[in-house]
Amino acid sequence: MRKILFAIIFLFSIASFCFGSVISDVDKSDIELSTRFDGTSILVFGTISSENNRTSLLVEVVGPPTTIDIRKKVQIWGIWISNKIAQFQDIPSFYQISISKPEHPILKEIEYQRLKSIFYDSLEIISRSEKGNEPEKYYSELTRLKKKLGNLVTFKEKINIIENKLFSHKVNLPKKIHPGIYKIKMTLIDQQGKELSKSEHSVKVSKVGVQEFLSSNSKNNPVFYGLFSVIIALFLGFSAAQLFRWLYR
Amino acid sequence: MQIFLPIADVPVDLFVLLALGAAVGFLSGVFGIGGGFLMTPLLIFLGIPAAVAVATEANQIAASSFSGVLAHLKRRSVDFKMGNILVVGGLLGSGVGVEIFRIIKSYGQTDLFVSLCYILFLGSIGTLMFLESLSTIQRSGKPQRNFKPRKKHNWIHGLPFKTKFKSSKLYISAIPPIVIGFFIGILASIMGVGGGFILIPAMIYILGMPTKVVIGTSLYQIMFITAFTTFMHATQNKTVDLLLALILIVGGVLGAQLGARVTVKLKAEEIRILLAIIVLLVCLKLAVDLLITPNDLFSLTYSTEL
Repeated sequence: MRKILFAIIFLFSIASFCFGSVISDVDKSDIELSTRFDGTSILVFGTISSENNRTSLLVEVVGPPTTIDIRKKVQIWGIWISNKIAQFQDIPSFYQISISKPEHPILKEIEYQRLKSIFYDSLEIISRSEKGNEPEKYYSELTRLKKKLGNLVTFKEKINIIENKLFSHKVNLPKKIHPGIYKIKMTLIDQQGKELSKSEHSVKVSKVGVQEFLSSNSKNNPVFYGLFSVIIALFLGFSAAQLFRWLYR
Repeated sequence: MQIFLPIADVPVDLFVLLALGAAVGFLSGVFGIGGGFLMTPLLIFLGIPAAVAVATEANQIAASSFSGVLAHLKRRSVDFKMGNILVVGGLLGSGVGVEIFRIIKSYGQTDLFVSLCYILFLGSIGTLMFLESLSTIQRSGKPQRNFKPRKKHNWIHGLPFKTKFKSSKLYISAIPPIVIGFFIGILASIMGVGGGFILIPAMIYILGMPTKVVIGTSLYQIMFITAFTTFMHATQNKTVDLLLALILIVGGVLGAQLGARVTVKLKAEEIRILLAIIVLLVCLKLAVDLLITPNDLFSLTYSTEL
């Protein structure tokens, strides 16, 4: 039994030596969205081991799923009116992909395939007025708009690699991010794009304090929230009247 | 200092908001207006969704009108019976208005709807005010004709359900105040305004109420209607941003106190013409935003809330 176990471990270590492996961690497991939240960053670091330096490391950050509408403005009687033309369901609210070697031969193909499986295949609804248009159009608008908002970042920043072993990468998150689980995936690939080793972490992003109290009650206890808003307003109105009466008496 | 608004879901600068609240509060102190019809478009210009701007502004007005009512209670310048009848009409109107708003929201067209309502109202009121003050200024200098207010006996007096309003010294039908209240309720819920700029002239010219009780009674109605509207928007549309409302209330209170104590060395007509110009400028900005060709024809919105 023990011999078999040793054999397995030995085979694995050989395998990892031959094909490469990645060991990684992130600098935080929680991000708090307070009222003062102004964007943050996650530091991803670790080691890679590979037989040669032809492997590349991919780091992907995948935010929680959201449903997004694409709207288009049309002119009716001189007025620009924005209409919903398509909907993408369950697509990551944030997606970033980076690579250690921007000169990778099939970089464009990797980008296309990842984005296609994440976004293109999630196109659910196209409005009737838009019939006849190719789905590619909505897909390209979605990726363009998401890039503009900073919610989609593809191969913008290079991953730092030291001595072909140690790596570190800072992922910047924008001011406006959705709460939920952010998955951070590290993948070691070879020249052909074949996956050699994977490692995954998750970072929990949650609203806290006033932010959490107001948004969760507004959503889940609207009756309480409505009464609370009215009472607070009336109380403040009363206090203001009393305060100024006292000040100017 | 940047803060993130939980319901509006946008980052804004705290000091910009406080300054905005104070500026509109100051203007309302100087001009004797509520300020909702200036604040809501300004919030929209800041990038806050129209639906949130309208509902949150109703919440702010609830605070400022309550503060005002307290002062009028001391002076006994509130006609409670008239106020209560206006409130009944107003609650119905507010319910209808919030429902209209909810339907338009389900089509995703609140921004357009609110803009169009504002262009219509600000445009007509601004123009009327401007022309009226202009003619008053031109007439001044010439000998004034003395208009004697006489008791009007118009169609209002032919309506049934007549009742006595002691404080207003009136004996009229309950129908006109209910209809007026209803209309104000709709305005409050779809535009985020108190509606004083319509309610006060309506009370004086249609109902024939004495000016002494007009402001106190209108504040009394506005307080109930905006409080109810806030509650309805919170439960039906989930668009009340309490954090935003708090900031605006604080800024507004300070600004209004300052505005009420500043002695403005301007004549009443000049103040009105200034206000008319502000109103028309806001209207123009809203109209231009709808008419100019946008930089980007496409936009992206989240279907699921954060």
